[in-house]
Amino acid sequence: MVSKKIAVLKEVSYQYPRSEGYALKDINLSIERGEFLAVIGATGAGKTTLCLSLNGVVPQFFGGRFFGSIEIGGEDTIDVPTSQLAVQVGEVFEDPETQIVAASVENEIAFILENLKTPRDEIVARIPEILDAVRLKGLEKKHPHELSLGQKQRLAIAAALAARPKLLVLDEPTSQLDPYGVRETFQLLKDFQAAYNLTVVMTGHAAEEIAEYADRVALLSEGQLKAVGSPQEIYTSFSLLKDNALRPPQVADTFQRIRQRSVEVIQTPVCLQDGIEAIRDLQTRVNICSPKISSQGEVLQTETILETENLFFNYPDGTIALKDVNLTVKKGEYIALMGENGAGKSTLAKHFLNLLQPSRGDVRFAGKPTREFQVSQLASRIGYVAQNPDQQIFTTSVEEEVSFALRNLGYSSTEISVRIEESLTEMGLLQVRDVHPLSLPKGDRARVVIAAILAMHPEVVIFDEPTTGQDDLGAQAILKVSLRLHQQGKTIIVITHHLHLMPDYARRAVVMGRGRILLDTDIRTAYHQVDLLKKTYLHPPQAVLLAQEIASQTPIPKLLTPAEVAACFKPRVRGRA
Amino acid sequence: MTNATPPKGSERNIRSLSSTHIDGAPMAYIIALAAVVTALSFIPFSFILGSGGSFPLSQGVLGLVGWVLGPVAGAVSSGIGSLLGVFLAPHTAGPLPLMRVVGSVYASFAAGAMVLGQKRRYWWIPVAVYAMLSFAYFVGRAILLNGVGVGIAFAATFVDWSAIVLFILPTRKLITGWLRSSKLPQVMLGLALGTWMIYGITHVCQSAVIYHLQNYPEEVWATLIPIIPFENLVRAAVGVVIGSGVITGLRAVGLIKPEHAVF
Repeated sequence: MVSKKIAVLKEVSYQYPRSEGYALKDINLSIERGEFLAVIGATGAGKTTLCLSLNGVVPQFFGGRFFGSIEIGGEDTIDVPTSQLAVQVGEVFEDPETQIVAASVENEIAFILENLKTPRDEIVARIPEILDAVRLKGLEKKHPHELSLGQKQRLAIAAALAARPKLLVLDEPTSQLDPYGVRETFQLLKDFQAAYNLTVVMTGHAAEEIAEYADRVALLSEGQLKAVGSPQEIYTSFSLLKDNALRPPQVADTFQRIRQRSVEVIQTPVCLQDGIEAIRDLQTRVNICSPKISSQGEVLQTETILETENLFFNYPDGTIALKDVNLTVKKGEYIALMGENGAGKSTLAKHFLNLLQPSRGDVRFAGKPTREFQVSQLASRIGYVAQNPDQQIFTTSVEEEVSFALRNLGYSSTEISVRIEESLTEMGLLQVRDVHPLSLPKGDRARVVIAAILAMHPEVVIFDEPTTGQDDLGAQAILKVSLRLHQQGKTIIVITHHLHLMPDYARRAVVMGRGRILLDTDIRTAYHQVDLLKKTYLHPPQAVLLAQEIASQTPIPKLLTPAEVAACFKPRVRGRA
Repeated sequence: MTNATPPKGSERNIRSLSSTHIDGAPMAYIIALAAVVTALSFIPFSFILGSGGSFPLSQGVLGLVGWVLGPVAGAVSSGIGSLLGVFLAPHTAGPLPLMRVVGSVYASFAAGAMVLGQKRRYWWIPVAVYAMLSFAYFVGRAILLNGVGVGIAFAATFVDWSAIVLFILPTRKLITGWLRSSKLPQVMLGLALGTWMIYGITHVCQSAVIYHLQNYPEEVWATLIPIIPFENLVRAAVGVVIGSGVITGLRAVGLIKPEHAVF
């Protein structure tokens, strides 16, 4: 008889080599066949280690000390080689580019099957089947580098699924995807779960999607399993989430705040549709008022610091990345630059730094064409924090990393020391100044890069997807740094598709789609252009959709956050009906 | 990470069950370092007197490959990397491409043989004996058969005999200790002297064969006196730059250490 459980973890603890603490501690967890288990937790909680332990890579590849046992389909992960476990457990990582190895889409699928000694005819039969299932049919001969990030992630999932594993483990597979890509990935997994009784274990920070798609949620904290339950149970445990630097879905957050205003809420919804229905219910029995909100954003009368005029850019392969982009950035502005993966956001930012030169049109910094600057000159005046911090880290200590550019720019050793202290203090990295940057968690590595940029005292700082892969605390910490810089008078541009994070920071939103600027307005107006956002595969935050539901009955301003939406509700005072 | 109380589960004996290892080194490491050797084969850093061509920059990391992977896996990795290198980058393959490959294998094996513990503690001896025999043949032939002056012969082979001396004396263990140090300056010193030493003994083994075939005259020996040490300094510098990054990086990310790694 086949056990109902695909994975059983008994008192699992794990310590990495040369590490003093335990990455996992006393984990007891059973995973049912065919379930969708989401694993959430702050950065460094042990999510990745848990994923790697399910296919034996921890500890078979990493070494270290392992306690307890993990059984996958009855096989002990300590006693069975990882190559054998790979038949049962497919693994997909955060960055699809780190696991794609072949030179064509179909060869990528074939690769794992060849390694599993699958007969040729079987491989040939499975490739179209799996590509059809992940909606990559027709792209068989394409080089994976020609695919969008979302397509690459689907290809990585397809390669993992080609071996027909019973358990698919995904470690933050959606953190780099735009909102459309996130939902697409979740839907794809849900479809496979239903069609093949596939068990899915997925880590991530996408609270809204996890609430909607997962069957169960496990919460890890400092290597320990703190709670396991339904999305409803976990995402309404607000103090537990807060203690672990996690956020609930915005709809749950909104209703929690409504409840705090002494408005009776029967059950806190965690999914958007339930939230909309609950709003409709509340509207029949609660007074709706128009809350006070911050200004809609003012046009700064300062001088222009960055400007593009009729900017076009074509990549050498003919891809048109920017089309007639006209943008003016005033000194001291804080701009959210948003759009789907491949919309042209990073390409535009690289033009500001003269890393790319226009095919047509002009780019100016402080009134002067960027092509008249050397890249090093611009780099000291425009700080660019790249999406992947690891691409900007290349020294052997945090302090060296921060001082590297300063030394190359010829600052005196006294000045360098002062700036290092300032930057490390600002980013909370003083304690790890001698540590190798790669030994730090990803969130801290991003802070190292930001510290290195800050040390140059740039006038403009461009953050390219700074919150990718960060837990809520890490994301807010980085954005708070950006806010402090803004308050010091610096011009800030944040490239992001994490729309829910920006209302507390940005006043102006520039929305890009397919190389064009689709919208350039204040953030309240932008977030309420739902149809236009959809054109560039962005979904407005749930609070905006709840606000629009309220606005369909009662005139209210354009609201952005759960706090603002909750402020619309006040309990009816008895006896004054 | 949590550490307050001992784990409840019983500790398991971890074994590497995957077949993708060679002599305790994961195949992924072997391939990665072979790729580094191949990539650096494209970059020439000095010319070869007489026959033309140039030396590949990969010679600076052959010791590192042995220290990271151990003698057997290191030799395999360097062998694969340099074999690909002589085909893909023939401009640095030299007049005897086979010697380039054999020399790479020997260098990484010698580096991996620099152990401190009991296991494989005598593996350095055949390496040293071969180097000394090569030196005796090389210099002996030059002086006795070809009439090269003793002073010129020893000056031109400074890199070779200094490397042999460093390898057979306790300095070999001292260098190994530095490579294992947690202090980066000591690691860098170990990489510099270690690369000098490892490529020095490799150089003499290769030179003995090449000299047997080519018998170059005393004028060439004299010209080589300043050139060879400079070239070996470049190798040592490459070893320090790449090696310190690789070793500190590997330590920092905490990946499993190959069983016979020296660092």
